[in-house]
Amino acid sequence: MAAWDLSVTVEDLGSDALPVTVSVTSDLHVGGVILKLVEKTQIKRDWSDHALWWEQKQQWLLRTAWTLEKYGVHADARLLFMPQHKPLKLGLPNGITLRLRASFSCPAFQTVIGICRILNIRHPEELSLLRPVEEKKKKKDKDLAQDIYDLTEVPLSSVSQSCLYNGMPAHFVGSPQMEAIYKMLSVTQPPPAPEVIAKQYRPASVVDKAHINGRWLDSSRCLMQQGIQENDRLWLRFKYFAFYDIEPKYDVVRLTQLYEQARWAILLEDIDCTEEEMMLFGALQYHISKVAQSEPQMLSTNAAMDDLDSALQSLEVKMVGESSSASELLENMTAPELNDYLKIFRPKRLTLKGYKQYWFKFQDTSISYFKSKEESIGEPIQQINLKGCEVAPDINVAAQKFLIRLLIPAPEGMNEVYLRCENEQQYAQWMAACRLASKGKSLADSSFQSEIQSIRSFLAMQKTNSHGNAPASDESINTHSLVSPRYHKKYKPKQLTPRILDAYQNVAQLSLTDAVMRFLQIWQALPDFGLSYVVVRFKGSRKDEVLGIAPNRLIRIDLGVGDVVKTWRYNNMKQWNVNWDIRQVAIEFEGNVNIAFSCVTADCKIVHEFIGGYIFMSTRSREKSDTLNAELFHKLTGGHEAL
Amino acid sequence: MDDIDAMFSDLLGEMDLLTQSLGQETVPPAPLPSTENEANFSIGFTDLNESLHELEDNDLDALMADLVADLNATEEKLAAEIEGLKVPPSDQTLPPPPTDLSSRPASSCLIIVCVTVCPADKIKLALEKLKEAKVKKLVVKVLMNDGCSKTLMVDERQNVREVLDNMFEKTHCDCNVDWSLCETNPELQLERTFEDHENLVEPLLAWTRDSENKILFQERGEKYEVFKNPQNFYLWKKDKKALKDIKDKDKEILIQENFCGTSIIVPDLEGVLYLKEDGKKSWKQRLFQLRASGIYYVPKGKTKSSRDLVCFVQFDNVNVYYGKDFKGKYKAPTDFCFVLKHPQIQKESQYIKYLCSDDAWSMNLWVTGIRIAKYGASLYENFKTAEKKAAVSAVWTNRSTPSSSNPSTPSPTIKGSTTRNLLIFILHSILQDFGNVPPPPPPPLGDILPPPPPDPTLPPPPPPLAAKSSFKRQLPSNFPPPPSAMDNLPPPPPPPPMDDSLEAPPDFLPPPPPAAAASFGGMDLPPPPPDPGFLPPPPPPSQPAFTGAGAPPPPPPPPPPPPGPAATPRIAVRPAGSLKKVPPAPPKRTTPALHGGGGGGGGGGGGGGDFMSELMRAMQKKRPDQ
Repeated sequence: MAAWDLSVTVEDLGSDALPVTVSVTSDLHVGGVILKLVEKTQIKRDWSDHALWWEQKQQWLLRTAWTLEKYGVHADARLLFMPQHKPLKLGLPNGITLRLRASFSCPAFQTVIGICRILNIRHPEELSLLRPVEEKKKKKDKDLAQDIYDLTEVPLSSVSQSCLYNGMPAHFVGSPQMEAIYKMLSVTQPPPAPEVIAKQYRPASVVDKAHINGRWLDSSRCLMQQGIQENDRLWLRFKYFAFYDIEPKYDVVRLTQLYEQARWAILLEDIDCTEEEMMLFGALQYHISKVAQSEPQMLSTNAAMDDLDSALQSLEVKMVGESSSASELLENMTAPELNDYLKIFRPKRLTLKGYKQYWFKFQDTSISYFKSKEESIGEPIQQINLKGCEVAPDINVAAQKFLIRLLIPAPEGMNEVYLRCENEQQYAQWMAACRLASKGKSLADSSFQSEIQSIRSFLAMQKTNSHGNAPASDESINTHSLVSPRYHKKYKPKQLTPRILDAYQNVAQLSLTDAVMRFLQIWQALPDFGLSYVVVRFKGSRKDEVLGIAPNRLIRIDLGVGDVVKTWRYNNMKQWNVNWDIRQVAIEFEGNVNIAFSCVTADCKIVHEFIGGYIFMSTRSREKSDTLNAELFHKLTGGHEAL
Repeated sequence: MDDIDAMFSDLLGEMDLLTQSLGQETVPPAPLPSTENEANFSIGFTDLNESLHELEDNDLDALMADLVADLNATEEKLAAEIEGLKVPPSDQTLPPPPTDLSSRPASSCLIIVCVTVCPADKIKLALEKLKEAKVKKLVVKVLMNDGCSKTLMVDERQNVREVLDNMFEKTHCDCNVDWSLCETNPELQLERTFEDHENLVEPLLAWTRDSENKILFQERGEKYEVFKNPQNFYLWKKDKKALKDIKDKDKEILIQENFCGTSIIVPDLEGVLYLKEDGKKSWKQRLFQLRASGIYYVPKGKTKSSRDLVCFVQFDNVNVYYGKDFKGKYKAPTDFCFVLKHPQIQKESQYIKYLCSDDAWSMNLWVTGIRIAKYGASLYENFKTAEKKAAVSAVWTNRSTPSSSNPSTPSPTIKGSTTRNLLIFILHSILQDFGNVPPPPPPPLGDILPPPPPDPTLPPPPPPLAAKSSFKRQLPSNFPPPPSAMDNLPPPPPPPPMDDSLEAPPDFLPPPPPAAAASFGGMDLPPPPPDPGFLPPPPPPSQPAFTGAGAPPPPPPPPPPPPGPAATPRIAVRPAGSLKKVPPAPPKRTTPALHGGGGGGGGGGGGGGDFMSELMRAMQKKRPDQ
């Protein structure tokens, strides 16, 4: 057979080097070509990751046993000899960019699996790669700071998921830099400065939200085929909102990144929520960032002992230590109390508008007050049990106003009572006591001190916030960092603080993991959760409409009104087809319901993949085995390009 | 168990009679509540002392004196009689409860001892017992569909599921998942089913002392409808036919999706409801939306976008209730109303939110949706537990007797009548209570009875320590006797037992002579009667006895004397009291063969008739059972 010259560009020789020419015959297999090539370059190195890329055909020649003839390679073919794994700049859900080596030769689905293995994220099928939204080219300095996180040196072979050392995957252990990277991956980021939030792109409408979904990479083709170059930027994001088997113990990175993605979705109003929900999200973010700073490792602390138990125990300790007299013992049994002069005001009785001062005593879950300290041994003027009441702050640090507003349930309705404290210190204590009592806990509860602490830090926040844009540092977080820009306009940080504090009281006792989980739960409970939008044109319709793709259903949204017109559930779906020539998706549901649409803002392959992907996700629970059935995934999402 | 129940219910019956009579004659409840508003927001137990003061201060001493005198007088007579009686059966009937109850009083003795003698290591033990003793218990009367009722003791740690299981045992019903405990509030015309994971005692404590609220044991299909037909809630927008034809597999998927994920999904409800405007009589339409975080409405002129929604209510502090006949009461557009309110609110108030929907179907949708939002995963857990229970009992009934048609035939009419059904008193209190509860049996002249009914709310279990201190005030009189006495001698008091022969239960309850009972109802002293276990309480002679004994088994000997007083007064007083005030009462009582004493009353069957006969019937029914 006739020999002919094949010229191959060897990437490792540099971009200026001339192509290397080797003499081949058509029945030479690809492996043979590579061997010749390597010999000719005379470079000694590990070539095992290298392969031939056929530029005109946009195809890797990965089957080394195939002959050139079989591949159809002729002398005019421009071939590139290069590594299959190349560095990629990967934007993580937490906003940080990481450099790492990813496969450019296998389907994107496999590439993601590889990336997730390095990052130690389970269930990689839920994630995918996204072309980033172009950033405005104003900030040049940004890239400098970001490239410190470099994982390109991780030897690919050493990545194994299963074993952890010091709570980290083995490949992160060893150097401080690597450990820092793992920390970045597994610990939530501090709240972003409000300006950072304001600068980010925010979708203003459903159509805006639809555009992002046109950017997903095709998971059945490789990165090279999709025009991704070495060192390009891509985003790694959770694409399928069906999170399977979350286990905080093993999913530290996964949970953290999921939380970050959810947090940004909220902050950028990618998903709508109400004001009350926003305040709760804000409170959770505040709590999470606070706890994350104090306990860098995800440790879940156990719930507080209940008060009687702790009282008993401390009593026991006392008894063992010093055999004190019985009366002393009994004294210890009594719960701690607060005693002080406060002012009270009850708006219901319109007789006197003023605050009246009394001697107050807080015991158990009740407040009693007396004319004066001296008379506190006798009968109180009144005793108020706070269990089940509502407690709200009404404070203005600058004006030294510290009011506690109580709404106390009684058979006839709620009674409104205001308590006025003199100073911060007093306020923090009494407020904390009221909060605990409203939940039926006494001052002996172990959370009392931490409640005081958190009230104090909120007060501190109010003080510092007067100036607005201090960078987010530990104690003083600008509350604007916790909510979407809409509320920056609506409220000053000062006004926001009490509202967030209000929501905060319900979450303040959560451990880090629990708080993250709570955040995710509330996010998942939002009505629009899990919807990925695509603008489509239904067959027979003359206007664009939006198709929402959720984990369990498709919805049709009228663009004009914004209403959901129709819902179809996957479990009623009989089949779906894509006509690749006219780029139309056709779906048949039970009961002879047929729909067909073409896609406007995204390729129909993306829609096809979403539907097939969600169906794949729903099959997971039935399989007991932990191994990912990649073949099924490709079958469901591959379309005509699938094998 | 049954015996005890019977005893309780009898006892309760008695209490009811008494309270009823009180209600009729004295200026009933009115004064009490009003004093209370001022004084305690906490109707809870914490301020027993306070309420006691309010109620009794004046009369107490007088009462005490009378009582003591009476006691002394009768004591001797009775003691003799009792000795003679020595009824064995009663001993047997008593057994179960006494064991645990009796230990309680003992523990309190123990504490006292500790304080003085103080072996440190015993303190811990004492504390534990104390903790145990601190547990609140209520005797609750549960109305059934057929008009009769069951009485059971509920302790504050028990949740509704456990109480339901108890009811299953008592009623031999089919145990299906629909059986529920419901709370009704006739004043507000509200009702709701308790969720199985809720504690029963807590909501009951919110009832006012003059409350007419009731607890019903009923089948409520809507309780778990969402798990039986999730499509009606999660796919409610689809047409009805499609919903009907839905496959079981699809139902399962719906449940999976909405209840088994990381987050519970609330049905996405949106619709126009009528809202009763604060303090006005008019109802306004608004577009409402249910979200996991609360109910929102769309303000005028705004879009439905989430950020424009205005929060109407969040669920942390409110429960959802069905409204009954609001068309009549509040001029609601329809009768399909539901209400959101803080569980402690028991009367009309601007803080109650009234909503009205067009039809029963959408009302159920909303109420169920709200429950899902409020209780989340617990609802599904409850359902699974209920299902298991039902399955087990189904197996049983199939196996044993096909005649499972027992009592479970639901007939919506609950004739329960106006009595206070539940309440009751707290057993929790022990010795101290006796001590400290000055009030005891103001035996004397029935006419005085100040406080009305026995109130659950009141019963405040004084904290042990407090109790001790306050104790002194009244103690001198030593009265603990009457009640304790009764129990104390297992052998049912003299006369009655005879008639009844073996029927232990009835004997017990009769104990408190009407007058006495009434007054202690107010005080809450009543505890004694319910639990026979009380025996230990040192009868009058007590003092020395118990310090010395300290240990659980109360000195048996002393008992004899006390019974006397109790018994006699009973006979003596009852007729008098009943004649004057509670005509109906006595007659009926006789039938059940309680104590001869009752017979005294003529057949004056007046006002209370209904209820009484009801009660009687219930009692009689019970007997055969046993």
